Amino acid sequence: MAEIDSSGGGKKGGKKRSKKMSTKIDMTPMVDLGFLLITFFMLTTTLAKPVTMQLNMPDKTDTKETSPVKLSETLTVCPDENKVYYYQGIPTEAGTKLEVTDYSDTGIRKVITDLKAKVGSNFTLVIKPTKKAKYRNMVDMLDECAITNNKRYALLEIDPDTEALIKRSGK
Amino acid sequence: MPKVKAKRHSVSLDMTAMCDVAFLLLTFFMLTAKFRPEEAVTITPPSSISEKALNAKDGMLTISVSNEGGVYLATDDQMAREFMLERMANRYGVALTGEMKKNYMSSEIVGYPAGAMRQVLNMKPSEAKDKGFVKGIPIDSANNELSYWVGYAKLSNPELKVAIKGDQNSSYKVFADVIGTLQAQNINIFQLITSPENKPK
Repeated sequence: MAEIDSSGGGKKGGKKRSKKMSTKIDMTPMVDLGFLLITFFMLTTTLAKPVTMQLNMPDKTDTKETSPVKLSETLTVCPDENKVYYYQGIPTEAGTKLEVTDYSDTGIRKVITDLKAKVGSNFTLVIKPTKKAKYRNMVDMLDECAITNNKRYALLEIDPDTEALIKRSGK
Repeated sequence: MPKVKAKRHSVSLDMTAMCDVAFLLLTFFMLTAKFRPEEAVTITPPSSISEKALNAKDGMLTISVSNEGGVYLATDDQMAREFMLERMANRYGVALTGEMKKNYMSSEIVGYPAGAMRQVLNMKPSEAKDKGFVKGIPIDSANNELSYWVGYAKLSNPELKVAIKGDQNSSYKVFADVIGTLQAQNINIFQLITSPENKPK
């Protein structure tokens, strides 16, 4: 190892030498620091990667007739800031019942999975975020679609009829 | 016969080589690490279970929506950026100087109304930010400048992918306006940038 014998060659000679220090240094803390930094850089570079979710909207210029969707196979959800309204049917009809739930696992996800199991593969989710909804709420709803493996969904602007229905229900 | 003693080795070992390796790796990671792109405002994207990584091979046009509802535009395609500026300046009758161009290219984001373009571009990007000029591109229906910026960017590079990075607490209405603006230009596929989240079982 890189050691230099500093013990001197006995007590011969009259020249007084200054005491030589060993050139060997303990590198353990330096290695520690090196690996700590490596770990830090490795973890931060891989964890900060953003992910994307693709959102496809229908072509507005395309006026081609699309396949009709049955009312009984459709669920309309209106994400609000902290809760989700949902109903089936036409908002202006008196028989349409508006329910309210939350974003938890047992909330809207259960509603979607239950109805999807009942309706089958033609199940369509219509998302109409309310005026108070945050961007996060919409992403949450798209996420629910991904979780429940529901590929048929539409993102629409909220219409006055639906707003009136929410107001009427008082929830 | 006396017992054979095992030869004792020194416990101290030479760490020079290990140290070399450690610092070589450290240098490598430090140099390859990409710094987070400059942001006009801090945006915390919502989390989603999506696992698709952001693919920016053909160029990205990122539209950021801040918490307050400001809309900012950024692109990593330098050609498209220059093209956008030239066309926008032309449209709004702003005479571009070399200084203005330099200031524009040194900042990654566009986030000011075209009316303030001359003022903003005559100062350094950091200065403009400090003075509060970078407030967002107007997107209301009477004066939709975002539509022009995006239109020119797409004209320069039709392959540009549109990514939307919204703050989780930004209003949905702004997002709907942005989507509406893009849909009017027949851009129907968006990449929503989110932060990863664990998939529920």
